[in-house]
Amino acid sequence: MIGIEHYIVLSMALFCIGLFGVLTRRNALMFLMSVELMLNAANINLVAFAFYHGNITGQIFALFTIALAAAEVAIGLGIILVLYRNFRDVDVTVPSQMRW
Amino acid sequence: MFPIELSEWAALAPVYILVLSAMVLFVFDSINPRTTNRAFLAGTTTAGSLAALAVAVWFLLAGVGTPQADGGFGAISLFDGQLVVDQLALFFIVVVTVVTSLVSIASYDYMKGHTYQAEYYTLTLLAATGMATMAASNSLVTIFIALELASLPSYALVSILKDNRGSIEGGLKYFLIGALSSAIFVYGISLVYGATGFMQLDAIAENLDADYGPLLGLGILMLIGGFAFKTASVPFHFWAPEAYEGAPAPIAAFLSSASKAAGFVIAFRVFTTAFPLEPTASVIGVDWTVAFIILAIVTMTIGNFAAATQTNVKRMLAYSSVGHAGYALIGLAGLGAGANDVVMGAALMHLFVYGFMNTGAFLFVGLAEHWGVGRTFEDYNGLSAKAPIACVAMTVFMFSLAGIPPFGGFFSKYFLFTASIDAGLLFVAAALVINSALSLYYYSRLVKALWIEEPVLERESLSQPVGLYAAIVFAAVMTVVVLPGFGPVADAAVDAAAAVVA
Amino acid sequence: MEEFFTYAPAIALLPLAAFVVALVFGDAMPKKGAIAGIFATAGSLGLSLLMLAAVASGEVHHETYYEWAVGDTAGHTAAEGIAFTFGILIDPLSALMLVIVSLIALLVHVFSLGYMNAEGEKGLPRYYAELGLFTFSMLAFVFADNLLMAFMFFELVGLCSYLLIGFWFRTKSAPSAAKKAFLVTRFGDYFFLVGVVAIGATFGTLAFAGDGSFVAEAEAALDGGETLFGFDAETWITITGLLVLGGVIGKSAQFPLHTWLPDAMEGPTTVSALIHAATMVAAGVYLVARMFGYYALSPSALAIIAFVGGFTALFAATMAVVKDDIKQVLAYSTISQYGYMMLGLGVGGYVAGVFHLMNHAFFKALLFLGAGAVIILMHHEQDMWKMGGLKNKAPVTYYTFLAGALALAGIIPFSGFWSKDEILYDAIILGLESNVFLAAYAMGLLAVFFTGFYTFRMVFLTFHGEPRSDAAEDPHGIGWSVKAPLVVLGVLSLVAGVANLAPVGKLLDLDIMFLEGWLDGEYGGLEELTYGFYGDMLPYETALIGGSEETTLLVAAALSLGLAFSGAGLAWKLYNVPEPTEHTQRLGGARDVLRSNYYQDEVQVWLAEGVTLPVARAADRFDQTVIDGVVNGVSSVSLFGSSWLKRIQTGLVTNYAALLVAGFIGLLLVLGVYGGWFL
Repeated sequence: MIGIEHYIVLSMALFCIGLFGVLTRRNALMFLMSVELMLNAANINLVAFAFYHGNITGQIFALFTIALAAAEVAIGLGIILVLYRNFRDVDVTVPSQMRW
Repeated sequence: MFPIELSEWAALAPVYILVLSAMVLFVFDSINPRTTNRAFLAGTTTAGSLAALAVAVWFLLAGVGTPQADGGFGAISLFDGQLVVDQLALFFIVVVTVVTSLVSIASYDYMKGHTYQAEYYTLTLLAATGMATMAASNSLVTIFIALELASLPSYALVSILKDNRGSIEGGLKYFLIGALSSAIFVYGISLVYGATGFMQLDAIAENLDADYGPLLGLGILMLIGGFAFKTASVPFHFWAPEAYEGAPAPIAAFLSSASKAAGFVIAFRVFTTAFPLEPTASVIGVDWTVAFIILAIVTMTIGNFAAATQTNVKRMLAYSSVGHAGYALIGLAGLGAGANDVVMGAALMHLFVYGFMNTGAFLFVGLAEHWGVGRTFEDYNGLSAKAPIACVAMTVFMFSLAGIPPFGGFFSKYFLFTASIDAGLLFVAAALVINSALSLYYYSRLVKALWIEEPVLERESLSQPVGLYAAIVFAAVMTVVVLPGFGPVADAAVDAAAAVVA
Repeated sequence: MEEFFTYAPAIALLPLAAFVVALVFGDAMPKKGAIAGIFATAGSLGLSLLMLAAVASGEVHHETYYEWAVGDTAGHTAAEGIAFTFGILIDPLSALMLVIVSLIALLVHVFSLGYMNAEGEKGLPRYYAELGLFTFSMLAFVFADNLLMAFMFFELVGLCSYLLIGFWFRTKSAPSAAKKAFLVTRFGDYFFLVGVVAIGATFGTLAFAGDGSFVAEAEAALDGGETLFGFDAETWITITGLLVLGGVIGKSAQFPLHTWLPDAMEGPTTVSALIHAATMVAAGVYLVARMFGYYALSPSALAIIAFVGGFTALFAATMAVVKDDIKQVLAYSTISQYGYMMLGLGVGGYVAGVFHLMNHAFFKALLFLGAGAVIILMHHEQDMWKMGGLKNKAPVTYYTFLAGALALAGIIPFSGFWSKDEILYDAIILGLESNVFLAAYAMGLLAVFFTGFYTFRMVFLTFHGEPRSDAAEDPHGIGWSVKAPLVVLGVLSLVAGVANLAPVGKLLDLDIMFLEGWLDGEYGGLEELTYGFYGDMLPYETALIGGSEETTLLVAAALSLGLAFSGAGLAWKLYNVPEPTEHTQRLGGARDVLRSNYYQDEVQVWLAEGVTLPVARAADRFDQTVIDGVVNGVSSVSLFGSSWLKRIQTGLVTNYAALLVAGFIGLLLVLGVYGGWFL
């Protein structure tokens, strides 16, 4: 029997993988994908807990999250596009004019 | 005071008005995509936000949210408790709409010659809608949706100067940190949901279960991360200096005032409604105020210290905005020591005054950018000779931000100070005083540059853009007159705080 | 007659109007503002007389006109919040004082026509404006109904005094004297202010009269045996009373804050007459009389007042003996006479003190104005050794001046005798019981001799003998505006004693002590502000020589009169010769001490330079090095910290993400350890 703990472990692992990606990837698209992993980790949690608690709030919210993630990606891709146009690169460490 | 009996859904009228104005701009933009009719666009935005402001003020005066025992209408709960309109919500809707209208007036001049006029104003209104909805959100679901509704347009707004590398860089950093923060935030929501089984704030409070203490604790901490991002508090503040520096000045004003205030309102609501101090502490084993005490001290210290040696005025203001987030965090850090309404009321007052003085300061920077005088302190030298009125206003903003009487900033900071003393947070009070003293150094540096230093280069006479001037002067006047009018504001703030902390 | 009180504020407001008129239109007016001043003070005098009449008919006026601040904080004893107000209190004491002040002010204004206008002075509008402002402040001080208002006008008269002493501000000495007067009196006023605050904070009220007066509150606290600020009630009342006394000592030129008054003679002689003899200097004594009920609660404070008074009386009189400048003699005699008043009040002789205040106002104003007349005669020469023989050339001046001198010396039947005698009588009946009062009495008695001596030395040197300079040979003429005030005051000096012929009344058992009855509220007054009421509060025990009042009276009177005569006689012997010579050589070493005023100024200068200055230097050095060092250190550390701290903002967004996560984990660890999440 797969218990709630397994789901939590899975989601935490996914979250950490995403976080690792965020911290190590310099490509903006990879950064974005890693964030998506983290969001999906949350979605796993939400769905699993919804099942566990026996209400569907979590599932519905997971749908919202997916939709918002999509919107976020849309904005993100737009920004990455202008990033490329201005810097001729999608490396997130290239724009570092403003600091200190 | 209601001339006609409105049904309950009307309680969200300020938000509807904002949405409607955004939709009007959408329609106008789709009919006439290349429009440069700035008067109509800025006018609609201003009218919409002013109308929302008027309605919100009217509601406040009419007693929406005032407990029924005091002859009011009580907090109005909508959509099965997903949204709630009470004094706290209305208070912050007022702050947000005031800032939005100031920003849209100023943008009329600032965005002159810009290609994407309609998009700019539409996004501003949508972000304002998100912030207003944040103020009224009463469930983690609506909070997240509203938060994203406020954030996503903000990312776009920061990077709207598509050929300006600074704008893109700021926008990118804002977006990346924002995406990371919202991922953490959602994960926090999922953990809280897992620990309690509910998303609605009151339901969460009723279902705090000791079995899931660490789970809930981690979830709460992750929620704090989300709020810290929105309010630009350490350690989620890294986006702020760059985003404010790179963004168009009115947008920087908008984000640092309205967006920050909206971040605070959800923090206030979540932590007072969903996680009442003592029950939560018995579950997670520690007072969450500890987190806010640490955050408050660190945030105000890092913000002010980093601001002290800046050479770029806008960046200095950005860091000072981080510092002010630290001051407002006292509103949460000081809870639980008895006079909760006073502590939080003080934070509300500070955010209210801050909405004027900080917006005004950023708009002055916008004015300087409009003139093209440059960005550093040296570039501002001797501006008072050419633009005395604006410089008087800027001086008012600076001294008010530093907390010098008789300006509004002094009173709100003074209340925060006494509130933190009352709450027994002597370290926080000491940090507040030390940081305020330090902040006077860099604020007065700017004043000195404006009034005392000789300009580096001879300047031609400077133009006087009507919109920017009007917004700046209005903000300055409000910063000053909030003093005699502080009584009602303070009462409203304390009432609003009392309603949620009770 | 109650309706007269409606006009009470006008008593002070008329001179204020004169001030404005003189200031704004003075240059355009025929007598440069003098006319406005004369009319205003005449109006004030008329109204004051009306008030006197109204009080005589049994009415008292006590009304608050304006409340300018109300505090919520309750006092130490009072339950209600303190209120700061402007109000008017007209009772027998203040009505009498109003008449005195406005009368002298009127006479001085008239005299100024001869002294200032006729001499073609510059800046006359300024002079009259300041005179008007002074009169306004002084009158408002007199009818003030609470201590704070009294303090405010007390300060204002100090300001006017400063301005008027420095009237000839182009000279070197006048501004310096003005500054000295200002600083020395301000030193006393500082204690006064602290006292006002202390009284306000203790009793929650500053009113002189009424149910809620601080006197009544203090009495209640004393009866209730309350502890105030850690002291028992009597000690605290003494402390606060003495703090207020600081202002009194400064203003009334009592030892050790008397040094400003001789220097203040740098001002015009009219100013000396009005401010530095008859009225402003009286403000201190008047204040003690005004709040006498408060001092009556504290025997220690009264004993200090009596002792300081007696000492000052003797001390100043000895210094007056060796002065050559006619105004200097009068200045020291003023200090000495105010010493008598303090002595009188200190020994509980409320009536005697006020009586002497009144008489002194008349005869000292007369003497100063007489000296002013002499100075006119002498073409602005003030050295008595250059005068002489003016007796026949200026008879009006001589005889009026002589009347004042006789009153000052305390020769029967001139007014000064009666009041001084009454003070000494009040002192001796206490002195027979207590050594402190005996010492005070002895000093006061001894001072009588010196008073007689220096007074007649002055008279003889000035008016008798042969003229000793060209100016004295051929004196300048004087006009009616100079003579008229002299005559009025001369008559008053002679007859004012009638107001309270206490010895005669007691010996012959006649009811002729009008002033005592007046101050006892026989004609009307507030019950708690009367002589009889104070008398009941005083804890003094008295004794009589041979157990008989008559004997004591006669012995006391004979002693003082005998000493006065012997002093005058010595002066007559030494100086009433055609060619008087200085006899001060005979005093030997004492002469230098006296001439140098007991080195008082030197001591004060030493205090300033030898004590205060090094302390100030040390404080300055501490400030410059330690404090500034710390401040500068803090700022450089802050700025260095700032330049270091802002480096965490590296500009690389991946670093931000890492720092963000690190910060988050740090927070997680703190909370987790606290909350025990990892167990």
